[in-house]
Amino acid sequence: MTLSHLATEDVFVVERNDADFRAGQGMTKGLGIVFRKFRKALFGKPNSDRADTEGQFNVQYPEERLVLPEAYRNMPILLYDDATGHELCTSCFQCERICPPQVIHITQAKDPATGKPVPAAANFVLEYDTCMSCGYCAEVCPFDAIKMDHDFELSTGNHPELDVNYDRLLRPISYYEAIAPTMWSDVKEQAMKKLQNNIKRRPGAIGRDHGQKIKGGAAVAVAATPAAGAAPAAAAKPRGPVAAIGKNMPEEKVAKLISIRAANAAKRGGGDAGAAPVAEAAPIVETVVDTPAAASAAPSGPVAAIGQNMSEDKRAKLEAIRAAKRAQRGE
Amino acid sequence: MADALTQLGFASWLSVLIASSIKVTLILVGGSVGMMFLTWYERRSISYMQDRRGPNRVGPQGLLQPISEAIKTMTKEDATPREADKIVHFLAPVVMLGATVLSFAVIPWGRMFPVDLNAAVLFVIATGGLHSIGMMMAGWGSNNKFALLGGMRGVAQLISYEIPQVMAIIPVVLMTGSMSLQKIVEAQNDFGGLGWYVFSPVGLLGFALFFTASLAEGERTPFDIPEADSEIIAGYMTEYSGMKFAVFYLSNYMSNLAVCFITATLYLGGGNGPGVDALGGFAGGLLSLIYFLLKSFALFFVMVLIRATVPRLRVDQLMSFAWKFLLPLVLVNILSASFWVALLRWDQQWPQLTEWFGAPSTADATNWGRLAIAVGLTLLINAGAVALIMRLTNRNVQKHLYTTDEELALGLS
Ligand code: SF4
Ligand code: SF4
Repeated sequence: MTLSHLATEDVFVVERNDADFRAGQGMTKGLGIVFRKFRKALFGKPNSDRADTEGQFNVQYPEERLVLPEAYRNMPILLYDDATGHELCTSCFQCERICPPQVIHITQAKDPATGKPVPAAANFVLEYDTCMSCGYCAEVCPFDAIKMDHDFELSTGNHPELDVNYDRLLRPISYYEAIAPTMWSDVKEQAMKKLQNNIKRRPGAIGRDHGQKIKGGAAVAVAATPAAGAAPAAAAKPRGPVAAIGKNMPEEKVAKLISIRAANAAKRGGGDAGAAPVAEAAPIVETVVDTPAAASAAPSGPVAAIGQNMSEDKRAKLEAIRAAKRAQRGE
Repeated sequence: MADALTQLGFASWLSVLIASSIKVTLILVGGSVGMMFLTWYERRSISYMQDRRGPNRVGPQGLLQPISEAIKTMTKEDATPREADKIVHFLAPVVMLGATVLSFAVIPWGRMFPVDLNAAVLFVIATGGLHSIGMMMAGWGSNNKFALLGGMRGVAQLISYEIPQVMAIIPVVLMTGSMSLQKIVEAQNDFGGLGWYVFSPVGLLGFALFFTASLAEGERTPFDIPEADSEIIAGYMTEYSGMKFAVFYLSNYMSNLAVCFITATLYLGGGNGPGVDALGGFAGGLLSLIYFLLKSFALFFVMVLIRATVPRLRVDQLMSFAWKFLLPLVLVNILSASFWVALLRWDQQWPQLTEWFGAPSTADATNWGRLAIAVGLTLLINAGAVALIMRLTNRNVQKHLYTTDEELALGLS
């Protein structure tokens, strides 16, 4: 290790030369160094140059803030186009697959007319509490739809609030451009091209109309002051533990959960309280029904996950291959 | 105060009681407020030494931080271990605090509130010794091995360092010819209030020795092994929580404060300083109080500086430092103090010598000449002793820590 970044008078080499007379010179020198530090920190200016080894290094946090480097990453967010209001995400599941702690949960949207999956996400849930900010999702996303945010003030008294849904994840591109201008300009062209292609491939009704929210003012304000960092649509959607818990469960499990909660609420003996969980739980059933796996009553488990994006005949082929393999193994 | 109350028509026993209660309350309040200030002072200073800013949020410059912490400790759960000796466990912090508060009784606060006890030095030493009882009570009563170990180490340290500490005061007592702290302060009033003992060779060495030993007495770094947090968790305080823990802390800081006061009194001239005599009266008294507090807090700053610089000693290093280094130096210092006193004023202190044995009177020589001789001689003795003991200690270290190749070859070790 090199000590060249330290002032030379800071480096005190202890020489164990027994011929030398040791009468506390070392200690006096040490006290001197510490006293000099004290003097400089007390009377000098707060240190602004990180290469300097003396002066106060504190940043008085809520009032003063360090400028975050562009590549700083905290939690993932999803981008949408300011002009059209279209999300960039195509529900390709790349991020869900790569995520090491598996905290991304995507539900693919379907064309209501044909029932076929379209390149858009119906819901997108990210467990912020378990995300480790590795940034893999942002690296892997072919559409530059998921990016890492700079907002680190996420503390909450309500733990399930850290399961963040689609609406709370969405930010306009202008917001990301404000926090990471060069990083966005690097990918801007291809991302916008892909977005145009993507919009062509999905029916008009699919995707969310974020354009109006922008015109409404709230989202624009967020985009203009990135430090505020609040989710643009956060207030619009009911947040709550129940919605979060149900998101990945199969139908029957959700039903069971609801009945258990109802029973518990009845035991607590509140008429009002009993009504609440059921009412809260209702949207879950909807969400679950939405998912292709549940709707087509296809085989559950890994097959369902793999097959989600395939055409029907491809899926049939896959099933045939698997059946043959199982037969080979003698099951 | 008692007299004034009697004149107001109170019964004499009642007026004494009321006056004493007021005084005790004042000392207690002063002590705890002083301790609160000290915790803030220490944390602020040490944070600047570490390029930080320290507590600065609660109140102006963080001055109300100790109060918020007091509220916090008071609202904390007060847990006593089930197997602990309840009474002893409860009484230990009381004994500790009591021992500390007692030593505040004799401190001469500049010239404002003269308290004269003609054996004040003895009193300070005696109350200092009570700490080890409290420590052992805490260690034993907690019924916890870490606590017992911490208490044992603490008591061993206190007893070891008490000896050099007490003996370091002897030169001062010799030079003054009195054990009263008031007289000791008065004796340092020469040269326009600057005749502090620390300016004489004997006093300088005595000051260094006494202050070092006092650091160990007050369990300050580098001698904080009774509570060595990295080794025995928190030592004798392991099983204490909430306000009981805070009382230990209080007593610790108050005793550090007392040590600073007493060091300032013994060696740094107490409230003496230029201008005190000239002003006289109330203004002079106030100035002397300011001098006294300034000196004490400067000493406390040195304690903080040492804490920020020096790492903790190992327990065997601690013991050998006390017995092999401090103690011999203290003995030499007593010797040179005797020479000092004899040269300077043996015919004043012991007139019998001239009377009975016909020894020459020191009044014959000029004052400055005698002073020069005394300074030279004691300087010689002290410096020689320091050098010799340094050499001896160094050689010991060398012998025991390193094995030379030749020794290995000869199979000597
Ligand atoms: S940052 Fe890493 S852990 Fe967090 S969601 Fe993305 S891939 Fe998963
Ligand atoms: S990788 Fe990108 S486009 Fe694909 S699902 Fe994730 S966020 Fe959407």
